[in-house]
Amino acid sequence: MSSLRNLLHARWMSSFVFLVLLFLITGLADPNFLTYTNVVNCFNTATMYTLLAIGIAFVIMTGEIDVSIGATLGITAAMTGLIAQQGGSIGRMLVVCVAVGAAVGLVNGVGVAFFGVPSLIFTLGTNGVIRGFIYIVTDGRTVENFGGDIAVYGNKVLFAEITLYYAIAVVLVAVAHIVLTRTKKGKYFIAVGDNLDGANLVGISVLRVKLLAYVLCGIFAGIAGYVFASKYRQVMTVAGNGYEMTAIAACVLGGVSLSGGLGNMVGAAIGAVIMSSISRLLVFIGLPSDFNNTITGVMLIIIVVVDALTQRRSIEMTRRKRLLSRTAGTAAEGGKR
Amino acid sequence: MKGIKKLLRRWETFLVLFLVLEFVIFGSANPKFLRPASIMTSIVNYISVCIIALFVTLVMITGGIDIQAASIIGLTSIIEGVLWSDAGMNIWLAVVVALIAAAACGALSGFFVAYCGVQPMVVTLGGSFLYSGLALLVSGMSATPAYQGISGFPAKVGKTFVDFRFLGKGELFGIPMQIIVYVALILLCAWVLHRTKYGERLYLIGVNQQAAEYSGINTRLVIMSTYILSAVSAALAGTLLTSNMNSAKYNHGSGYTLAIITAVVLGGTLNTGGKGSILGTVLASLIICILRYGLPLCFGVSTQNLDLPVGIILVLVVLGREIAGRHMIAKLMRRLKRNPAA
Amino acid sequence: MSQPIDAGARLSVRSITKAFGSNVVLKGIDMDVQPGSVVALIGGNGAGKSTLVKIIMGIYTADSGEIYMEGKPCRLGKPAASLAAGIYLVPQEPMLFPNMTVEQNILMGIDENPISLRRRLNDLLGHLGWKLDLTRKAATLSIAEQQLVELLRGLMRDARLLILDEPTSSLTFNEVDSLFKIVRDLRAKGIGIIYITHRLTEVFDIADEVLIMRDGVITLSGPVKQFTREMLVAGLLPPDAQLRSAKAASHPVDYANTEPVLVVDKLTGYGFKDVSFKVYPGEILGLAGVVGAGRTELISTIFGRDKVLGGKVYLDGKDVTGHKTSQILREGINFVPEDRHYHGLFKIRSISSNTTSALLGTTEIGSVNMNRRKQNAIAQKYVDDFRTKIVSLEDLIGSLSGGNQQKVVIARALSTKPKVVILDEPTRGIDAAARSDVYRIIEQLKNAGVAVLMVSSDMEEVVELADRAITVYQGRINAEFLHEEITQDALTAASFGIVPGKGARQ
Repeated sequence: MSSLRNLLHARWMSSFVFLVLLFLITGLADPNFLTYTNVVNCFNTATMYTLLAIGIAFVIMTGEIDVSIGATLGITAAMTGLIAQQGGSIGRMLVVCVAVGAAVGLVNGVGVAFFGVPSLIFTLGTNGVIRGFIYIVTDGRTVENFGGDIAVYGNKVLFAEITLYYAIAVVLVAVAHIVLTRTKKGKYFIAVGDNLDGANLVGISVLRVKLLAYVLCGIFAGIAGYVFASKYRQVMTVAGNGYEMTAIAACVLGGVSLSGGLGNMVGAAIGAVIMSSISRLLVFIGLPSDFNNTITGVMLIIIVVVDALTQRRSIEMTRRKRLLSRTAGTAAEGGKR
Repeated sequence: MKGIKKLLRRWETFLVLFLVLEFVIFGSANPKFLRPASIMTSIVNYISVCIIALFVTLVMITGGIDIQAASIIGLTSIIEGVLWSDAGMNIWLAVVVALIAAAACGALSGFFVAYCGVQPMVVTLGGSFLYSGLALLVSGMSATPAYQGISGFPAKVGKTFVDFRFLGKGELFGIPMQIIVYVALILLCAWVLHRTKYGERLYLIGVNQQAAEYSGINTRLVIMSTYILSAVSAALAGTLLTSNMNSAKYNHGSGYTLAIITAVVLGGTLNTGGKGSILGTVLASLIICILRYGLPLCFGVSTQNLDLPVGIILVLVVLGREIAGRHMIAKLMRRLKRNPAA
Repeated sequence: MSQPIDAGARLSVRSITKAFGSNVVLKGIDMDVQPGSVVALIGGNGAGKSTLVKIIMGIYTADSGEIYMEGKPCRLGKPAASLAAGIYLVPQEPMLFPNMTVEQNILMGIDENPISLRRRLNDLLGHLGWKLDLTRKAATLSIAEQQLVELLRGLMRDARLLILDEPTSSLTFNEVDSLFKIVRDLRAKGIGIIYITHRLTEVFDIADEVLIMRDGVITLSGPVKQFTREMLVAGLLPPDAQLRSAKAASHPVDYANTEPVLVVDKLTGYGFKDVSFKVYPGEILGLAGVVGAGRTELISTIFGRDKVLGGKVYLDGKDVTGHKTSQILREGINFVPEDRHYHGLFKIRSISSNTTSALLGTTEIGSVNMNRRKQNAIAQKYVDDFRTKIVSLEDLIGSLSGGNQQKVVIARALSTKPKVVILDEPTRGIDAAARSDVYRIIEQLKNAGVAVLMVSSDMEEVVELADRAITVYQGRINAEFLHEEITQDALTAASFGIVPGKGARQ
């Protein structure tokens, strides 16, 4: 019973309800939308954003930000394509993607956690550097015309119309969620974002946690890069441009607070589905896809403003209640003395 | 002597040296580099970033950040185009309408930041989606397809540009109008930030908003105003771009966001607020412009691949500043220890 | 020099020194804590108490000296090491994770299987007999409840040495009582406790041993039984204290022929209720009370920082109830906030900027443009008047000592030429020399006919300066004292709800 109540109060629950409402409203506008295929496709197309969102969620939860993930996705996608052109195995691609992602994350982590450079600025810089490396790696040309296994897996359906990649992404979300909420070390991510000094005081190594968050973020971006290459089989030099903003938006929609210490992986994953479904939903509602960004922006702003106002209100209410209780008790307490 | 020491410690001095170094290296690698016209063109090519960075500096000095300004470039451009070509409005009137629209966009985001306490990064992230989306919608109202862009603005008499096109293409005494506008805006911004009481308020709010409140400063209004200013500057940039390219397009300026922030940060503005200068932002903007112009010309770097050097410089500079800062503090501490009277 | 290490002691600290820059905070501290005893560590602001316990906790590293835990030398230096050694610090401001539940807060960072951990927690709670909803979010807890959570954190780690840093500073009277019960309980279980406070009454209530620090050295130590209150006070006071005990012969206020400048009538807000008082020109009104009594809430509401729920505030007969801070400033009230760093200083701005920030709403430093010349002239005038030690007006205020920073903040409050100045803890955290300068400034203000409302928890300060004093107890004014009636004892008693003549408060 209490676990049910917890479930209903969970922050990601409101995002989930929001997603369901979006689907239902679309269904009202056009009943044809509410078929199994359409709904499942909304999830399938969210694969890349899901990976990016849960990666960056680690970083955001610790109270930092990473705007280099779009570039990381770009470079790993390009490298995947190049390996595929040479007929390399998928194993090799994945190793390269994970290694490159981890390396980028390590650099970001050292800059932010060790040297104390503000994270937005530092990752802005690494973003530029990685974008530059994409040109060097690809010679400034679009990587395309690669086939082999990677093309086969690109849209492979595992079961019940769910693609292999999305299924894997779901598994990763589940693992990340369990690690964060059930394991001791996993809770450190939230703790660091919630109260940095407090975390330090109970013996948590803030440096190590932040470093790990960036490395994980980079790895997830690397895997997303592999998925990008596999799905589109064409990697332009600007691949992944702006994806970081979409991933951040997905986290915010999923209830991950940008000030850190609040949110979870399921929310981030749902946020990713919302972000990537909007264009599809618009088609069914009968609005041109031109409305995509407008709707996203309005949604984002409404959610964050409402969230900020309710949070501020609850803090203010507690403060006032506390202060009022001091004076309310005076007469009664005074009598005892 | 003390003056020199003080000057050496200033970030702007370092930026000037860096800029001079660029001129020396590029100039010796390829004498063509030093042609004034080309140098001016290099600035004109990046004028939107230069202009907006000036005003985003004001936002960041109050401790905020604005990542929506770039999307307002496109919104302004397309509003002007549609009003002029499809609604038949006078182009200057259209410009005024676009400026007001931009101010409203800035006010909306600024309101959420200042009065609702939402993090500026999130609000302006939402704003960047919203305003670029609106731009596309406005574009849809036009008879011209969105990807084409609205062109054919007035007017050209013989070989000289007049009227609306004069703004972006014309020259005065051989200097492009855009540069003249930029210089005027630099002076305006420097005056506002460093000479007026409004500027003083910006710094105080950035250093300690609570203390500013206790000093009777209406911090919320001031914070909101900075977002309006940066949005209006983006509208000016959008107008210049439209006039220069003879094309009103919804996606003008997309992708400038990170460049703008880079210029401001490289200029020495503290992202936590309270510190920064217009001179620093201008110098940093010029450094980036010259780099983007010089590298392809002198060293054959692909024009597409200019993010790498800019990124490297940004990373090295912020790391260097952080390490040097710690070193300076440590040195100061040691000196104080030796000489407790100091 | 140092005493030998007592192997039976829970904690032994030997010859600890620590300096921050030029400021030597600890000058060789020796200290022992026996199992099952409470050591009260007392001392004024800036005596070095917090620095000492932060070194023991590993938040700061000592410049020299040793720390032994149960006779074994410890190499501390980071909190994780101190935690492992069995030390736990309950900080003055509880450092919880606001978005986490009570349970998560308590168990965070403990290396143990979660099932046994939870069982241990339940056992502990049952054992202590505390009722605490483990599923509540920490953000919703009161300060007292937060402190319970902090204590539980320490106990769950099997801490054998607990450090409580001014645990009662933000607690109500009843909460203090229950905290003492807990402390006695823990002592009975053999835990060594360092109890930091600046309230002497608490020492006799709770401690077995007492240790007094002043300016980084221990001036007095031994079992509590050996001391009287007066002896402790003597240990706290600087050698030149007799100067301060002589009451300044100030100009008496002619109450009969003067109209009050500030009239507060039945004012109610968050944290205080039905508060009425008057302040006369040329008068220093002391507002005493314990921290958390509602003093700061009261005056910051008058200054327009929080909502007025009822009642009126009149300035020179004009209703200024609920006006915004910018209006209040123009109307003639200014304020020196208690928390200098959070509400007062613009750390990375110049001394000039800091002095004149409240003048931005006037035309005294220019209408649109800043008039730097006038700005500097005003700042310089106050630097000269207050004997503020600076090198240049352009220097950042963060580079000054606490006392000089406070002088600049006071200068700002006077720069608007107010009729009423409200000073909230004007000498908190500043050294003795700066303190006497601040007193001189306050006297000057009084002589210039300004009405001064001075909030202080330093009773001696109120005794020395105030023409009249009122005490706030649990959000209401419970006593008023005329000049001759103001004594430390009377103020302290009233602050704790005991009003002379009336017996226990109704």
